[in-house]
Amino acid sequence: MEDKASERKRELSRRELIKASAVVGATLASGGSRIFAAGSDRFRIGLIGCGGRGTGAVNDCVNSSRGVELVAMGDLFKDRLDSSFNDLKRSLGEKAKVTRDTCFVGFDAYKKVIGCDVNLIILATPPHFRPAQLQAAIEAGKHVFMEKPVGVDPVGIRSVIASSELAESKGLAIVAGTQRRHQAHYVELMKRIHNGDIGRIVGGQCYWNGGKMEGYWKFWKQTDRLFGMEWQCRSWPWFTWLSGDHIVEQHVHNIDIMNWAIGSHPVQAMGMGGRQVRKLGNIFDHFAVEFEYPDGVRVSSMCRQTEGCTGNVSERVVGTKGRSYTDSSIGFLEGANAYKYDGPNPNPYVTEHADLIASVRQGKPLNEGKRVAESTMCAIMGRMSAYTGRALKWDWAMKASKLDLTPPKYEFSDLPVEPVAIPGKTRLI
Amino acid sequence: MNNQVKGRASELSRRDFIKTSGAAGAAALLWSTGRVFAAGSDKIRVGLIGCGGRGTHDTTKCLSSAQNVELVAMGDLFEDRLDRSLRHFRENFPDRTNVTEATSFIGWDAYKKVVALDDVDLVILTEPPHFRPGHLKAAIEAGKHVFMEKPVAVDPVGVRSVIASSELADKKKLTILAGTQMRRISHLVEGIKSIHDGSIGEIVSGQCVRLGGGMLTWGRKERQPGWSDMEWQLRRWLFLTWLSGDFIVEMHVHNLDVMNWALNAHPVQCVGMGGRQVRTAAEYGNAYDHFAVEYEYPDGVRIEYMGTQIDGCTNRNDQRLVGTKGRAYTDFGRVVIEGRNKVEYAWDQVDPCLRQHADQIAAIREGKHLNEGRRIAESTMTSIMGRMSAYTGRALKWDWAMNASQLDLSPPKYEFCDLPMRPVAIPGKTKLI
Repeated sequence: MEDKASERKRELSRRELIKASAVVGATLASGGSRIFAAGSDRFRIGLIGCGGRGTGAVNDCVNSSRGVELVAMGDLFKDRLDSSFNDLKRSLGEKAKVTRDTCFVGFDAYKKVIGCDVNLIILATPPHFRPAQLQAAIEAGKHVFMEKPVGVDPVGIRSVIASSELAESKGLAIVAGTQRRHQAHYVELMKRIHNGDIGRIVGGQCYWNGGKMEGYWKFWKQTDRLFGMEWQCRSWPWFTWLSGDHIVEQHVHNIDIMNWAIGSHPVQAMGMGGRQVRKLGNIFDHFAVEFEYPDGVRVSSMCRQTEGCTGNVSERVVGTKGRSYTDSSIGFLEGANAYKYDGPNPNPYVTEHADLIASVRQGKPLNEGKRVAESTMCAIMGRMSAYTGRALKWDWAMKASKLDLTPPKYEFSDLPVEPVAIPGKTRLI
Repeated sequence: MNNQVKGRASELSRRDFIKTSGAAGAAALLWSTGRVFAAGSDKIRVGLIGCGGRGTHDTTKCLSSAQNVELVAMGDLFEDRLDRSLRHFRENFPDRTNVTEATSFIGWDAYKKVVALDDVDLVILTEPPHFRPGHLKAAIEAGKHVFMEKPVAVDPVGVRSVIASSELADKKKLTILAGTQMRRISHLVEGIKSIHDGSIGEIVSGQCVRLGGGMLTWGRKERQPGWSDMEWQLRRWLFLTWLSGDFIVEMHVHNLDVMNWALNAHPVQCVGMGGRQVRTAAEYGNAYDHFAVEYEYPDGVRIEYMGTQIDGCTNRNDQRLVGTKGRAYTDFGRVVIEGRNKVEYAWDQVDPCLRQHADQIAAIREGKHLNEGRRIAESTMTSIMGRMSAYTGRALKWDWAMNASQLDLSPPKYEFCDLPMRPVAIPGKTKLI
């Protein structure tokens, strides 16, 4: 989840809209003169997960392209759905076709949304729920935009990969909310890196060192009426089984860039971390991981959520002939082929939706499912290594790990909080 | 510290002594370059300050490293520590131990009394690192050669003092040897020379990783009745930051020293993180159990360091330098150069601890310049700045740490008195001083 970026998203201005539309125009242009007819290729959105991110994603999606409307909504909580419903009615006007009859609440709300007359599902529930909801959406033949991360454990990742393969065979689009993949300066920098402008990649660093997130990630007070499952689901970022911890929930963005640059996922990881300041939930507040990619290329990752510390959210790729630096607003290369991106940089939160819709309209649906599943898996591996203190290999994590953080049942009942991980004691499963 | 070497040291037995003596012969031959020392005026007389396990080990190596080296004085804060060490020397080096009642000293000023002895040529400084700067200064001012264990300080104020003392040593033509024996382990010497000669091209990245056990059985955990706060902290010094510098400084300075050596520089800035996730009991003082620090060296070369002291985790102890033409993998047993100039350097089996002492004794006898003071001060500072960054959560620059930081962990007074333990550092709250 973004800090500045999400503010920017919320403050989506007319000016940005125009810029975003221009990008869509450009994307469409590559598809020749194909002009979609109203109706047949109208995008009818079903939103699943009506929190801040889901609401923002619908706004971005509708505003990204012509012929997009919101038809159905689902959430675990009525209050969350209501507030999103009101916001979207206000912001989307007549493009919010959703009615009270197409709003659903509860653990099975997602099934009901998928059962409506929709063709694009936006999945913005807590990451724990992503694998099952993606599977349901793809099986029902819907295109999907899903927020990152897309799982919290290896069992979930395997499911997402299977669903992505199914989507491929059904010609369905899957775009993930790793918006850097749709951001102009990242796209240009990666093109140059892949072109060899910094030589052979031999190292790198990525970071998400930021603040404590309290206030931004709501932590609900436990009461006689709010406890157990409901309390944890409402306070989801703070619990590993729901969010994956912040290395997964947030830092997956930067790890995804390293995978993109190198063109591969790591083969092994060794991490460390802990909870030196944080008291809420059971997530850590800092992680440091050494990821080893093929050919022994090692990349370091650091992420921290602690107030009052030096911030840094960026990526750096080290090659034999130079280096790249990227963050959410700038990108440049140093070395033999020094370069700085200074072209237009439209809002990537809009562009990602424009790209999804354009790809479907051009008959070449994007499918980012496997890729984002792999990036999520990297972050999960880092967390698993830091929690247990054990180095681990990709192949083992991907194929053999049995880690499944699913609770015994999905109902509002007591649910003990898992203890905070203790390296050397927490078992590698 | 090489685990093998360390293990040998802590279990020093007669059998081990015979083995080390054998190695000493080899080392002495290597370094004596044909010169034969006459007894008498060439005798090197050693004063040991800090008679714990490490001091006993280092002095054993020193006595074994060359002919005609004698232990003549000892000092420690605690009588029980000194007595145990002295028993060891009397048993194992009866003809090279000449310590008397008059030349063994107990208490806070024991070091002053050792360095004041005219009959001492070389002092071995192996007290907890906090004391090093003050003791080094006293030794150099008194005109003694010095062997000092790593690390050589716990804070920037101490590091500056060590550098000043090292400069004074040069003026006085005194030798200073630091206990970073990795600088004399054969495969690292050869491997790093090859890196300096360009075997892996220009260094652009690297990793320094030391993941080891929790040291949970170190020392006596129970506080004895009658111990003041000060005594308890001194007896548990390894886990008190003001005394040991924390393990990134106390132990992993070895690994960071290898990085500085390979890169032929010290870092220009760093950002670190860390905490105390497992070793949280009171008997482990206020030390962390894990650190991760990114060090940036000149020209933007970033090196990642990871260090842990946690039981039950994956163990590693290696450094890796990544260059434009290859990579060097180093551990305390070998150096492997990968890439265009593939080669592997193995350890020649000569104990680097013996070699370093032989080196210093030869330098003293031949009047050669040997002063590792500034170099080890810089490696210590590298570790200290990583700890400071992890403790505070703030990135910091070498120049600031070296020139401007006021951090001084000294207690108000050196007495067996009340001394509240400083709280465990909290990033974002602990101030960068």
